[in-house]
Amino acid sequence: MPGFPFPGRPGGEPDEPLLDMIIARRVLPPDAPQPMHDLVSMLAALAGPAESGELAGEAAVRAAFSRAASPAGISAAARRPGRRRRTRRFRGPARSRARLATALVVAVAGLGSVFAAYIDVLPSPIQQLAHVTVAAPAPPSSSPRHTGAARTPPDRHAANQPSSQPGSRPQHSSPAPLPGTLTPSPSFKPESPGRRSPGPSCTPVGGHSPSPQPKPTGRPSPPSWSPPAHCTGLPAGPSSVPTLNPYPHLSGIPRD
Amino acid sequence: MIGAAFSVTLASAQGGDENAFACLFRDIQPALLRYLHVITPEAEDVAGETWLQVVKGLPGFRGGEEAFRAWLFTIARHRAVDAGRSRSRRTDVPLAVTEAVEDPAGPDAAELALEAITTRSVVALIKTLPREHAEIIMLRVVAGLEAADVARIVGKTPGAVRVTAHRALRRLAELVERAGVTH
Repeated sequence: MPGFPFPGRPGGEPDEPLLDMIIARRVLPPDAPQPMHDLVSMLAALAGPAESGELAGEAAVRAAFSRAASPAGISAAARRPGRRRRTRRFRGPARSRARLATALVVAVAGLGSVFAAYIDVLPSPIQQLAHVTVAAPAPPSSSPRHTGAARTPPDRHAANQPSSQPGSRPQHSSPAPLPGTLTPSPSFKPESPGRRSPGPSCTPVGGHSPSPQPKPTGRPSPPSWSPPAHCTGLPAGPSSVPTLNPYPHLSGIPRD
Repeated sequence: MIGAAFSVTLASAQGGDENAFACLFRDIQPALLRYLHVITPEAEDVAGETWLQVVKGLPGFRGGEEAFRAWLFTIARHRAVDAGRSRSRRTDVPLAVTEAVEDPAGPDAAELALEAITTRSVVALIKTLPREHAEIIMLRVVAGLEAADVARIVGKTPGAVRVTAHRALRRLAELVERAGVTH
C-alpha cells in the first residue's frame, strides 16, 4: 500500500505494516479498516496518563526513597552494585588478579626463605629449623665444616678480631675449652637482640666433630622447640639444660 | 516517557532528590500498574515491591530512559512471578486457575471497551487474550519497550515477540469487530 512507512516482510501477512504502525503508536492511514482504528483508540487510552487511584502509592514510595536517600542509605546503596550482572562480570578479573598477586607474594616469600636458608644467612634457631624441615645447611655453630675465616665476613668482625688463627680464644675471655667441645671462632660476635647476623663459626677442638648446638643468643628459645638429641648429646626435652655450653658468658650458666 | 530531560531527572534522583524520583514514579507508574493488572491479581502489592527494589538499586543504575524502563519492568515481572509462587503455596490452587482465561463472552468485554474506552475496560479486554499475548502487547504498546527488551524480559527472540504481538493485535481486532460496533 502506498505511503506506508513499513513495507512489511516479503511474503508476510498483508496487515503487518498496519500492525507495526499500531505498535509504534503511529497514525493509521484513513483507508485502514475500522477495527484497526478502534484498536488504536483503545491502545492509546491504555498508554495514556494516570487516572484516579493509580498514583495512590506515591506517598509510600516517596517515604521509602527518603529513607534510602539518607546519608547512610546512599552510602550503603552506592556500595551495593546496582547492575549485578555488569559488576559481577567486572568483579571477576579483579578478584582473580588479587588472588594471583597474593599467591605470587607467598611463593616469592617462601622461595626467598628457602634460598636464605640454603645460603645460611638466617639466625641459628631458624636455620636449625630449616635444616630439619627442608634439609638446608645446618647453622654454622653446629657444622663441623665451617671455619671462622671462610664463613664470616671480615668487615663486620674486624674490630673484635684479635687474630685470625682458628681455634684461638676470643677477645672476650672465656675459660679454656674442654676437649671435645666447640669453641667460637675469633671472629665471632655475639648477636644483639633484634639484629640478624650469621651464626658463629665453630672450630672443633681435639679432633672431635661436635654435633650442632643451639646458638646462645640471650633470647629464650621457643618453648615448643627443643634441639634434637643428636645436637646436644643429651636427652631432648624442654626442661633439659645442656651441660656443654661453649658460651657460658652469654647464657650465664657456668660450665662444668 | 520523559524524553530529553530523563538523564537530568535520573541524576537528580540518584543524588537524593525526592521530587526527581517522584517524577520518575509518575511517569512510569500508570503503565506499570496496568501491565501488572494483566499478569497478576496482586498488581498494587507487586507494584509497591517493584518500586522498593528500584529505590535500592537506583544509585547503581546506568543507562537511558529505555534501559530504565526495561530494568523496572524486568523487576516487576520477577516480583509478579514470586507473588504467584507464594500465592500458589498458600492456597494450593493450580496456577492455571490464576492465569488469565479467555473469556467466552469476549465480545461483551469488547463492547464495554468500545462504549467506554477507559483503561480498566481495555485492560479487561486484553486480559481475555492468552497470557503470553497479553503480556507482550502490554510491554510493547503500553510500556513502550523495544522488541529486544521485551524478548529479554519474557525469554523469547525478538522475532517471536513481533509475531506474537501481531497475533495478539489481530485477535483484539477480531474481538472488536465481533462486538458488532460498526462506524
